[in-house]
Amino acid sequence: MSNRTDVMKTGEKNIEKTRKLDTVQPDVDIYENEEEILVYTDMPGVLKENLKVNIDNGTLSLSGIRQLESRGAARWQEFGSVEFRRNFSVPQTINVEKVYAELRDGVLRLHLPKSEAAKPRMIEINAA
Amino acid sequence: MKYFVPKFCPGNEKGLNINQAKTQQKGGTHMLTRLSDINRLFNAMDFFRNRLDSLYSDVDWTYTPGLNWAVEDRFPKTNLYEDGELFEIRAEVPGLGKEDLTVRIQGNYLEISGTRKSNTPEKYSIHRTERDITSFTRSFTLPADVDSEKVKATLENGILIMTLPKSEAVKPRQISIA
Repeated sequence: MSNRTDVMKTGEKNIEKTRKLDTVQPDVDIYENEEEILVYTDMPGVLKENLKVNIDNGTLSLSGIRQLESRGAARWQEFGSVEFRRNFSVPQTINVEKVYAELRDGVLRLHLPKSEAAKPRMIEINAA
Repeated sequence: MKYFVPKFCPGNEKGLNINQAKTQQKGGTHMLTRLSDINRLFNAMDFFRNRLDSLYSDVDWTYTPGLNWAVEDRFPKTNLYEDGELFEIRAEVPGLGKEDLTVRIQGNYLEISGTRKSNTPEKYSIHRTERDITSFTRSFTLPADVDSEKVKATLENGILIMTLPKSEAVKPRQISIA
């Protein structure tokens, strides 16, 4: 047990060591309408400051690190300190400037608004 | 090496027994040299396994080692800690508010149940739904009785944390030596 807490403590301080955390794929829901794409991700136990959302060259990458401090002796353990990580390809029509995210009850809600040019447009027909 | 892997050791008891048994049967010495060949083969395999282990920890894609992730089908996943006077149970319940959860305790029996409302927004088309938990019940038998009056439960970032003080009868007691 003492060994494990040592590992987790160095993990917090040392950026290189955080890679030693187990990586898991979080579950996601993806919705879309004319205005935006919505991504809901389960990330239980991840704090806001340990969450990174990156959009680069058409790739959306989510990474959230959960550090659990243990209390006493573990009788059983089905989840631990992990990195939730997942990558998606997003269309180039996303307006990267306007992307926003909220984290509530361990669920990340990511809004990816479409750029004006990509939205469907009603074309007015002029009578000649 | 991160964890202990049992190895085939040429010098251990098992290896020697095999040697003895085989030489008795065949009565030849060439069998011994063959066994050493096998040992050499195993050594090579150990070498590659070690290299592969370190490779897995270097590559940063999903790799699910150990037993922690073997029980994927249970929801919610829980941890139980014991700390002298109390138990602490934690459960992963992302997306659930306190009004969605019910906890029942009787003696050493604990039941967590809940429902997650569908969060599908209206007028959106669905591309993917993996977070499809709707309702669940999970029950546990705790290692000892708990005082249900003093149980505290909090919800932090999608994790339910419950502290369950043990009932007086099963608490550790300090014995003074006369």
